Amino acid sequence: MKASTIRRLKLTLAHVFLVGFLVLTLTPFLMIIAISFRRGDLAIGALVPVGDNFSLEHWKYVLGIPYEAPGADGQPRIIRATTPVLLWFWNSLKVATVASACIILLSGTAAYAFARMRFALRGLLLKSLLVLQVFPMVLALVALYALLQLIGDFLPPFGLNTHPGLILTYLGGIAIYIWMIKGYFDTIPVSIEESAKIDGATHFQAFVRILLPMSAPIFAVVFILSFISHISEYPIASVVLQTERQWTLAVGAQSFLYEQNYLWGKFAATAVLSGLPITALFLACQRFLISGLTSGGVKE
Amino acid sequence: MGSVSIQSLDKIYPAAGKNPAFHAVKGIDLEIQDGEFMVLVGPSGCGKSTTLRMIAGLEDISGGTISIDRSTVNDLLPKDRGIAMVFQNYALYPHMNLFENMAFGLKLARTPKEEVMRRVTDAARILGLEQILDRKPAALSGGQRQRVAVGRAIVRDPKVFLFDEPLSNLDAKMRVSMRSEISKLHSRLKTTMIYVTHDQVEAMTMGDRICVMKDGRIMQVADPLTLYHQPENLFVASFIGSPPMNLLRGRVERREGRLVFVEAAESDAVFVPLAGALAQRAEKNLGHEVVLGLRPEAIYDEARGADTTPLRARVELSELMGSETNVYLKTGAGTVIARLHTERRFAVGEELVVYLALAKAHLFDAKTERVIR
Repeated sequence: MKASTIRRLKLTLAHVFLVGFLVLTLTPFLMIIAISFRRGDLAIGALVPVGDNFSLEHWKYVLGIPYEAPGADGQPRIIRATTPVLLWFWNSLKVATVASACIILLSGTAAYAFARMRFALRGLLLKSLLVLQVFPMVLALVALYALLQLIGDFLPPFGLNTHPGLILTYLGGIAIYIWMIKGYFDTIPVSIEESAKIDGATHFQAFVRILLPMSAPIFAVVFILSFISHISEYPIASVVLQTERQWTLAVGAQSFLYEQNYLWGKFAATAVLSGLPITALFLACQRFLISGLTSGGVKE
Repeated sequence: MGSVSIQSLDKIYPAAGKNPAFHAVKGIDLEIQDGEFMVLVGPSGCGKSTTLRMIAGLEDISGGTISIDRSTVNDLLPKDRGIAMVFQNYALYPHMNLFENMAFGLKLARTPKEEVMRRVTDAARILGLEQILDRKPAALSGGQRQRVAVGRAIVRDPKVFLFDEPLSNLDAKMRVSMRSEISKLHSRLKTTMIYVTHDQVEAMTMGDRICVMKDGRIMQVADPLTLYHQPENLFVASFIGSPPMNLLRGRVERREGRLVFVEAAESDAVFVPLAGALAQRAEKNLGHEVVLGLRPEAIYDEARGADTTPLRARVELSELMGSETNVYLKTGAGTVIARLHTERRFAVGEELVVYLALAKAHLFDAKTERVIR
């Protein structure tokens, strides 16, 4: 075989593999979208809902818009959603945004201390953070439940079945973000902050006016990762939030799956809905994600 | 106004983990006059940067005092010491443009806007940066970046400029031009400058005085020519000058009534008679281990009357430099480099007679490593 033929063959194989991989990743996603636009609540059906199959009923239900559907007697009747899906959506958005903002604040300052200051037990603390995060937070569910109940006795706004309470539990899982941000801080030469100190900046000013602006990319990454994981977090939210009006989207979506009746259509529409803010956030943060924001300041 | 006085300055890094405590600066004393260009030079790990950082206030002082303009600054913050510092890696603020970079300190000090404007544009004019003040550091070349770093220092109008190896990240050509630029800046501003480098060429060409350091101690402080011609010890002798001074280890002996220096070697030992002032110095160390130091340029390829002593040796290597040729000659225990002003090519292994100007030789005590006077 000629070298060019072999090369073409290799290229084709690589493409076949990549396309196959894409199909594997995209199919479930496309199916969810299809289900949300398909009449009825069955998991199986036409992959591309057209004609009679196509319906906006699930979306109208989810968005709280009244719609017409055949009733038990065959006569069409107006159906109005009884579940506050949009409220769940708002709850999710609120919890994920506030939790992520607080996480940035906490992990950013903690990472600064670990990266720039020398104190007793520094190495040990860093390592134990790494070890502790190996255990999923779900393992502490019982403890979290008991703790929130206790806190609620003294500070009702932070107790069980409250959003601040839920956010509080999320703030316990920031070890990985501390590590990520510390890793980024470590790549920024200390001399830039020293230079700021000679220029008259305090520790805090050097942190806020020099280090933070240079670290925008990592904060964008941490914000997005935290947002994604918390907007779709189920186990803890399902235990902490007990009443329907407090639920987040992930908890609410589960409520469509009754023991005897799986409302796949509504579930799918809710799932797609929860993906929208993540997409929006990603697009908004993209300009911070450019690499090389620190370039030019120092000679490596 | 910008004099700096350092008294028995100590820096000890405490033991951390597996690293034992490290005594980086060992009780040094140094007086720097107002307006002086003082170069701290030495191999890496000699404590020169640590000393500079202690003057800047970036490192705690373990012992001793540092005074700037006759007042002790040990416990002052960097910004209150009247210093400005230029770092090796420039340390510019990458998210700010050049103007903001230079104005940052003034803005923190709440300097009036017009004043900030005036001082930054003045500094930019001196350094030829006026046209690019709105650029970010990433859009600049290495030389321009270092110029911005210098500009940021000028804007602070300090009593003392501190330079921490500012040229070592530049390429060779840029280094030479920035070297003369900093020298010009010094003669223009007439402000005290303390300049750390490991490059002895920078030290020799820029410094009013040079402070040679080794292992946390000062080996000698002097103006460049004194340092070159009258080194106090073996370290300074070997550190200053390129190619370095030839150092021959051996012994002073009396043979047939004359003082001679005999190289310590199994065979082919260099054997030279000593006369004049050198003989007087050698006499006191008769029978002692000494080191004879002779600069490469004090070796000629032809006799110059009675002042030179012939030496026969084999060529090991020769480097044609254009204006001169460095010839490496095999001696009993090592090599002697002769800087000969000739364009003649030397063959490896060729036997050659060179002439040593022993009146320019130095004698060092082999044990204390100090010069013998």
